[in-house]
Amino acid sequence: MSAFFIEGRDFELFVDAVIGARRVVGPVAKRTKFVYAELESAEELRLDFDVTILPPKKVFFPPSQDLVRFSDGVVGGCIDPVETVLLGVHFYDVKGIDMTDFLFRERNEDWNYLAQREATTIVASSIQSISPRAFWSSVGAEVEPQGHDAFLTKVNGGYLFETRTPKGEALLGYGSFREATDAEVGAAALANAAAMKQCPERLDYPSEAIAEKVRDSFGDVAMWDELAKDCFSCGSCNTVCPTCYCFDVRDAWNLDQASGTRTRYWDACLTREFATVTMAGGGTENFREHHSARFRHRFMRKAAYLNEKLGGPACTGCGRCSQACTADIADPVRVITHIMEVSS
Amino acid sequence: MSCEHHGHDNLFLPREARILHTHRPTASEKHFTLQLADGAPLEFAPGQILEVGVMGYGEIPIGLASSPTRTGTFDIVVRTVGRVSTAINEKEVGDSLWIRGPLGHGFDLDSLKGHDVLIVAGGIGLCPTRSLIQYIEDRRDEFGRFLLFYGARDPLQLLFTEDRLHWRASGDVEYFETVDRADASWTGNVGVITTLFKKVQLLPETRVVICGPPIMFEFVIKELDRLGIVRENIFVDLERRMKCGVGKCGHCQINDKYCCIDGPVFTFSEIQELEEAI
Repeated sequence: MSAFFIEGRDFELFVDAVIGARRVVGPVAKRTKFVYAELESAEELRLDFDVTILPPKKVFFPPSQDLVRFSDGVVGGCIDPVETVLLGVHFYDVKGIDMTDFLFRERNEDWNYLAQREATTIVASSIQSISPRAFWSSVGAEVEPQGHDAFLTKVNGGYLFETRTPKGEALLGYGSFREATDAEVGAAALANAAAMKQCPERLDYPSEAIAEKVRDSFGDVAMWDELAKDCFSCGSCNTVCPTCYCFDVRDAWNLDQASGTRTRYWDACLTREFATVTMAGGGTENFREHHSARFRHRFMRKAAYLNEKLGGPACTGCGRCSQACTADIADPVRVITHIMEVSS
Repeated sequence: MSCEHHGHDNLFLPREARILHTHRPTASEKHFTLQLADGAPLEFAPGQILEVGVMGYGEIPIGLASSPTRTGTFDIVVRTVGRVSTAINEKEVGDSLWIRGPLGHGFDLDSLKGHDVLIVAGGIGLCPTRSLIQYIEDRRDEFGRFLLFYGARDPLQLLFTEDRLHWRASGDVEYFETVDRADASWTGNVGVITTLFKKVQLLPETRVVICGPPIMFEFVIKELDRLGIVRENIFVDLERRMKCGVGKCGHCQINDKYCCIDGPVFTFSEIQELEEAI
């Protein structure tokens, strides 16, 4: 919508003012890495982060979330959104949020996610440091990030603040913003373009060609066995993924043994039990028994199955799975490049 | 207790259903007749499922086992298998179950109407197809010939004794049953369910519904191929671990389909290309 500028020294005051008014979640340091956490003061905010351990989807889709509470025969929901500003989201994570927004809304609207999502203002931010396994400049490049309310770019000793929605504009009142000059807007565009050029890994094939070839490789069992042979089925690739949204639902009793909760927890399709059904007589049927079938399923989901719905792959190029994988076999750049080059 | 300040529906909020009647057809199965606690009718189509639960234990997907033509109450049959089904099967008349649904995509009645219909049900697969059986019985003139094949492992596993007596005597359905292994009391057909095919003549336009253990599908499809029945006219009712029932949680995925919202009833032509289906 419009572009504004705020001096570096005023930026901290702005962030503190927003913290005074709303819950603010942003990237903070955790030992040598970064995580999204609720900010107590602007000092904690680290907009120079490269990538966070977990993606920001946890603000709307937390690792555990109560869906239903019960007590003595009374059952009720627990949708209870809190007005939140999510400050400092790289564009690739905005794309991930766009995908989970779509997936939790399509066919059956899940307000356990959507209510908190609607109560959140997202301020995207420019990439100042780059994660070593990132490939966001090339994967799904045809898909533009949508769901942010403002975009912050570090430039000329301050920040360019581009508002995208009325929710983003509403933040202007908390800081000493002035209208940006054309030179500042131009410098921000250059800074963002320069970051794109520094992305360390590349996936040099169009999304449609990848989708087709990955889908066609389904029956190449020997190749998938080889790609997955070191998989521990730990699910770390799922856990850190901004577009993974599978979950388990479990009931738990409170200590009073009269009340309790039905809660959803992040789940991971790489884990052995994920597609298992208990059969009569105590036996089980696992519809993806072998770890290579589960490894393949993840790549089908990320590169092929959801493309039509999402307009591109269900991958943002954040590189989190590449970094999180204990055996270092999850890197989509390596796996997909292998399929493109080797698979017939 | 409730913290719902939000005006929108919660997909996970179950409704209370009272148990009006129970029956134990076998040692492991329990047949419930239910009614919503608020007295509202449950509107559904044959083949749709419910998530059925006991608060504090969890929910499981269960196919509705009665026809929507029989209004006021609805039936489910639950086999004691795991933690949740055990908790459900401990409930008695007067107790409540908590349900969500109907969910999913049932049988395509428009495609069945006006045609001969064969239902092939193996084991507990008879329960979700019972909804369709009753529907056809209640609207008998909307369908052509109606045949039902039912197979169980042994005579002790046979479900719906009263229904079976009725089907045997009924002029509305050509009913055939078999057991894989007989006992001393059994005088009927012995052998896998495909042995029933040689007892009847079927037209290639017959619509066929299959529900049973995965191993059964393969052999039944072979028989249907032999009879020239095209795969668009074969309907299969699949079972997966449908945890949320609303197409989100991912547990019931078959390649790019969600069993819970794209199924659980599929045409065989839809799923024959899906490597993970059967």
